[in-house]
Amino acid sequence: MTNSIQEIRDADFLLVIGSNTSEAHPIIAMEMKRAVHRGATLVVVDPRAVWMTTISEHHLQIKPGSDVWLLNAMAHVIISEGLVADEFVTQQTENFESVKAAVKDYTPEAAEAFTGIAPDLLRKVARQYASTPKAGIYYTLGITEHSHGTDNVYALANLVLMTGHLGQPSSGMNPLRGQNNVQGANDAGATPVFYPGYQMVDDPKVQRHFEEAWDCELDPEPGLNLNEMMQTMGESIKGIFVMGEDIVLSEPNAHHLEAALAGVEFIAIQEPFPNETMRFANVVFPSAVFAEKDGVFTNSERRVQLVRQAVAPPGEARQDWRILSDLAKAVGLDWNYESPAEIYAEMAALTPQFKGISHERLGEIQADGMTGIQWPCPTSDHPGTVYLHGDGIMRGKGLFQAVTYRPPMEVPDKDYGLFLSTGRTLYHYNAATQTRRESGPVAKQPEAFVEIHPRDAKERNIQPGDQVRISTRRGHIDVIAIVSRQVRPGCIWTPLHFAEARANLLTNDEGDPVTGTAEFKVCAAEVTRLGEGKDLASIFRGNYYSTAGPSQ
Amino acid sequence: MSPTTQTLLVDGHVVELRPGDTILNAANRADVSIPTLCHDPRLKPVGACRTCLIEVEGARRLLPACATPATEGMKVNTESERVDRHRKTLLALYLTDHDGTQEHGQGGAPNQLASMAREVGAPTDWGQLPSKRRGSIKDDNPYILFDPDQCIACARCTRYCDEVESVTAITLAGRGSETTISTADGISLLDSTCEMCGGCIDTCPTGAMTERKAAEVQAPPESDLTKVRSTCNFCGVGCQLDLNVDPAANDGRGLVVKVTSPPVGTTSNDGNLCVKGRFAYEFINHEDRLTTPLIRDADGVLQPASWEAALAATSQGLAGVMERHGKNALAFISSSRCTVEENYLVQKLARQGYGTNNVHQCSAT
Amino acid sequence: MPLINGQRPGTIYLVSSPNDPRSTVPDRLASAGGLSEGVARVLSRDTGLHEADIYGVGSFYHLLARPEARVRVCGGLSCQLAGSREVLSACKAAGLPTEEISCLAACDRAPAVLRDRRTLPSVTVEDATRSAGKVEDLCSTDSETAWLGTIGPETQSMGTHALNLLGEPDWSAEAFKAANKMGPAALFDLLEESGLQGRGGAGFPAHIKWRAVAGQAVQKRYIVLNADEGEPGTFKDREVLMRRPDLVLEGLAIAAAATGASEVYLYLRGEFEVPSGVIAQAIAKLEETNRYPDITFHMHAGQGAYICGEETALLEALEGKRGMPRLKPPFPVEVGLWGKPTLVHNVETIAYIPGIVLKGGAWFKNLGRTEPGTKLYCISGHVQNPGTYELPLGISLDELVETAGGYVGTLKAFSPGGASSGFLPASERGRALDFKGLGSLGSMLGSAGVVVLNDTVNMRWAAEEQLRFFEEESCGQCAPCRIGTHYLHAAVKGQEKSLGLAHVGDVAWQMNEGSICGLGQAAALPLTSALKYFPEDFS
Repeated sequence: MTNSIQEIRDADFLLVIGSNTSEAHPIIAMEMKRAVHRGATLVVVDPRAVWMTTISEHHLQIKPGSDVWLLNAMAHVIISEGLVADEFVTQQTENFESVKAAVKDYTPEAAEAFTGIAPDLLRKVARQYASTPKAGIYYTLGITEHSHGTDNVYALANLVLMTGHLGQPSSGMNPLRGQNNVQGANDAGATPVFYPGYQMVDDPKVQRHFEEAWDCELDPEPGLNLNEMMQTMGESIKGIFVMGEDIVLSEPNAHHLEAALAGVEFIAIQEPFPNETMRFANVVFPSAVFAEKDGVFTNSERRVQLVRQAVAPPGEARQDWRILSDLAKAVGLDWNYESPAEIYAEMAALTPQFKGISHERLGEIQADGMTGIQWPCPTSDHPGTVYLHGDGIMRGKGLFQAVTYRPPMEVPDKDYGLFLSTGRTLYHYNAATQTRRESGPVAKQPEAFVEIHPRDAKERNIQPGDQVRISTRRGHIDVIAIVSRQVRPGCIWTPLHFAEARANLLTNDEGDPVTGTAEFKVCAAEVTRLGEGKDLASIFRGNYYSTAGPSQ
Repeated sequence: MSPTTQTLLVDGHVVELRPGDTILNAANRADVSIPTLCHDPRLKPVGACRTCLIEVEGARRLLPACATPATEGMKVNTESERVDRHRKTLLALYLTDHDGTQEHGQGGAPNQLASMAREVGAPTDWGQLPSKRRGSIKDDNPYILFDPDQCIACARCTRYCDEVESVTAITLAGRGSETTISTADGISLLDSTCEMCGGCIDTCPTGAMTERKAAEVQAPPESDLTKVRSTCNFCGVGCQLDLNVDPAANDGRGLVVKVTSPPVGTTSNDGNLCVKGRFAYEFINHEDRLTTPLIRDADGVLQPASWEAALAATSQGLAGVMERHGKNALAFISSSRCTVEENYLVQKLARQGYGTNNVHQCSAT
Repeated sequence: MPLINGQRPGTIYLVSSPNDPRSTVPDRLASAGGLSEGVARVLSRDTGLHEADIYGVGSFYHLLARPEARVRVCGGLSCQLAGSREVLSACKAAGLPTEEISCLAACDRAPAVLRDRRTLPSVTVEDATRSAGKVEDLCSTDSETAWLGTIGPETQSMGTHALNLLGEPDWSAEAFKAANKMGPAALFDLLEESGLQGRGGAGFPAHIKWRAVAGQAVQKRYIVLNADEGEPGTFKDREVLMRRPDLVLEGLAIAAAATGASEVYLYLRGEFEVPSGVIAQAIAKLEETNRYPDITFHMHAGQGAYICGEETALLEALEGKRGMPRLKPPFPVEVGLWGKPTLVHNVETIAYIPGIVLKGGAWFKNLGRTEPGTKLYCISGHVQNPGTYELPLGISLDELVETAGGYVGTLKAFSPGGASSGFLPASERGRALDFKGLGSLGSMLGSAGVVVLNDTVNMRWAAEEQLRFFEEESCGQCAPCRIGTHYLHAAVKGQEKSLGLAHVGDVAWQMNEGSICGLGQAAALPLTSALKYFPEDFS
């Protein structure tokens, strides 16, 4: 996020795109609701009528995968109607001309065939966005989990740059992080291309820096990203070490992955709970959960915050850092960490952005009365950074990146006639190893389901509550049908949380060429009726995504 | 203070006026404490509990500090015979409608009404009224318990549900002395629009809205628990939460009895939590937890093992792969669920220990 | 729009407006026959509002909250003196779905019964028995449609009486034309000269409110008629609305034109089915003849809540919410209906306007004795001819009762202005019944609903009945009133052993200091005054 969470309540225009905020980021949604109560305009772009659309001024219910058309057409309107922030573009950006040229033919009229959005509505939203000073964009996996995810992000960034909505409070570009510590895991260098603090693996100077610090030789070649690891699993990848992730449940095209794991010679995992991946593991280490460990998580707004141990791990379970230290010693490395604070200090010393942060400082109340420090924080007396690009764009000049529309890797055809999208719900979390052990989520949402539009349900003779099968070219799962107008005709949606109905048996592992992120959000699928219905109201009690629809 | 600065006087203290100030805000800045029950900075003030009434020179009636705008030159008295009598008699009246001896609600949350009555020295001998408030008996939700006897109808819960969470699952229902909190037709919260964020519990000043789980196990009062401030382990918002631990429970390992949110305005979640952050902590002490290292035996079955054996097996396993297929046949999958330090160690292990950059985690955003 | 359980979740209405479906909720609930199980969900589906919100509104108003009750017997003092409890028992015995209800504004035709929304005056035990348990067959042997009472004095005329309730309605709109010709500034001066005080109870000078609304920067303004007077002992609104709808509507039109409003909201008690019909007819007639071009009249029915006679609670009710009074300031003249400047007047006040415009400020002022103008006094209880009497403001109880045919029995106590004014002893019978004088006694003229009690009445009982009323009718928003009315009622009733009368003074002080609105501030008076003047009844 370029902005902070508390700036959201003061925004006057919020463009929420590809984010089911109230379910995936409920507390950010509360800030958005506060903004709306204050009088802000909320626009939601989503193929699905997510809860936030109930308080939005406009819901742009686009066809799946048509984001680039929509965003380029908005850029087209902003340019053709003279709403560009000329001074900002001239002084702080480069390569605007290429975008200008690229979006020339993306008229709202032409976009309608792809997006399904009326040209006048698109114009209105583009104008509102461009002309409201405190306008923020909020997005999440609905933007990135596409084969054209990088293009989507570039197209959004183009809008931000051409309207100058950057470097000010409540106005910026805000990806909402999915996991508690996605930001922190990347910050810490758990990526194939970066050392801690986004220092490039293939930069010889950086390499030397870390070789000296760690007293070893380092590989100058970037490694494989997660998607590449999965696709070469069992072929070139023969040994894996997994900490705290259920790859069999979470990764796309799971049937393929399970077959591939048979070809892996050694698998070690460290986990607090039994999971799907454990079926393939040679060694399993029992690990601690967050309440049993010390350390830090870094949230979406780059705020580094302490995790404190409250209770002891059960049995012989150990904190993950302790397991890693023990393993390092076992393989002959000279690691002697006594505490996470010590580990953090080592990392901070090696990375300019975190240099001013320490566990000790994080334990104190900061000058603004809050806790936690937002990086960059270069020195121990630096207060941290509330919003980015405040002193001009960080890389020097904001770079426009022209993008053109590419269709999703897989679109519906005569065999698989529906667009399938997957995602999260409010009541569960990821592989649900935790939440399916909780009474509330289980009471509200005990099993997997698919949302299907009444028209599509009728064609398939599906009644609300029926047992149905979702099939794709990669696999099938059996779930309960919720007949709902929340989804567009021709589109279905299913949650990813249920081990007995793993959405990732269905999804496409073809990824974005730049990030390798797989296309979880769009693939072609079909739904067939298996059997008799159940009473939906008693299974999914008080469900927002209900069965009944208004007469239309 | 510049000469153009506007000010008001609170108990003789000169306070600089800020835009949108209420008397309560201004007084707080002057460290003048005014008691409140229905006030929550997240909500529009309603002035209903009447505990914050104070004197303003020139005003005939006592005014609610929480809802009265502070204005230039205003003279505010928060301590006077009249205000003192007001506080004592108001709280004495409250106590007749609530059991003032209850220092905490059923879930162990402190009852601010009881402590406030004690602080101002409110009479406790005015007798006891039978409560006419009714609770919802059909409510089978596992998390939120409403105890009508403890309720003071301040409407913080319903206003929170409306203004902050915006789901409006609960409402003030009935009127007069029967005024209570209810869902439509008294249906279970599970069948309502409630998303079980528990904000009603967080904002409740008396513990009338409380954690059902804590109440069911008759958890000790919050004051007897250890509050450990930590960071939520679910989504990327990074809410701060307080793990309320009974240190003696669980054979001395400690038990998380409930989760509460830190005070409003002190963390970026501003006192708010969602259903997962506030209530999904049963997993910590779940019987399915892995408690010992496991090694797959010759028959392909995972068997309990010692730490030494498991560490040695892993060291050998990884080394074997490297010998046979080279260092880049190894892949290290880290986790965005684990701490920064742990992620740092995984990448360091991969790079320093095995010389490979094949390290990543699930991080699409 | 998406659905929850087949209902639409609520939309956030930032600033509620006349287009907000919320304002239709009470009417919709009434059409649905009240708040039966499932109704909130159906209405939620129809309106897009949250079902809990709808439920909260429905449960607030007595006429909506208990739909099963279709016969409601008035429990006001005057009705009780006329035997309403016997009628209540007879109704129940006959198998009618019966409950007690607060004052129905028929104290002069006691005892009264509400059958669905129709008020039946002078109902007898025989009437109840004859119904044989069929609600539709419960009728008053007395004429029920007219529901008119005695008006006095019989000698009144437009020259001597500002309202002249016995006169013929005048639809010429002469006063409206004259006021327009005069222009707002001159009209406000005229009002000031007349000394007209609001007749709702507070006695606030009318011209100040008119000027305040006219002077607001916000251009959209509203006029609201408060015809929701539920003060026990008060029934004059019914007479004015039914006998002189011309004066009420012309007064409203003059107010609208002078303050720059074009929309007028008339909020009538839900029990006023008959007066409501008269007004609706009158409005239809005016619209047909286009008497007041540019002005639109909107009618709204209350749903059974005394508190909505308080002007800000009434505004909340008009907006379709629970009728809980707002904090003041800001006052409605600044922030009123849907947040816009609003002039709220009581029926009687607004009805004086045409007369003042036509006959002048000095004329009106001189009609009064101790304060300006004539005044409608409602008198009931132990008097020969209960009814509505237009007399100079400031006459004494004895003079009033003399006009009403004299006392029944020996005077013991009286309430000069409904329950809220408490009780005064017989020794005050010669005192001027006006705003200032009664205020100085710790009582008030209020709505001038005068209830006379003779020496057969035990004052502890009378106080208990008034406190029962206030506990029933407290909105429950603020603690001093919500708990205080409950406490005092329980204390005077003597059922709760732990409560005595020792703390009544402190409770009353707290209610007066701490309550948000006038209800709570005054609610202790019946008990404190009874204790003060009639201690022997408590021993």
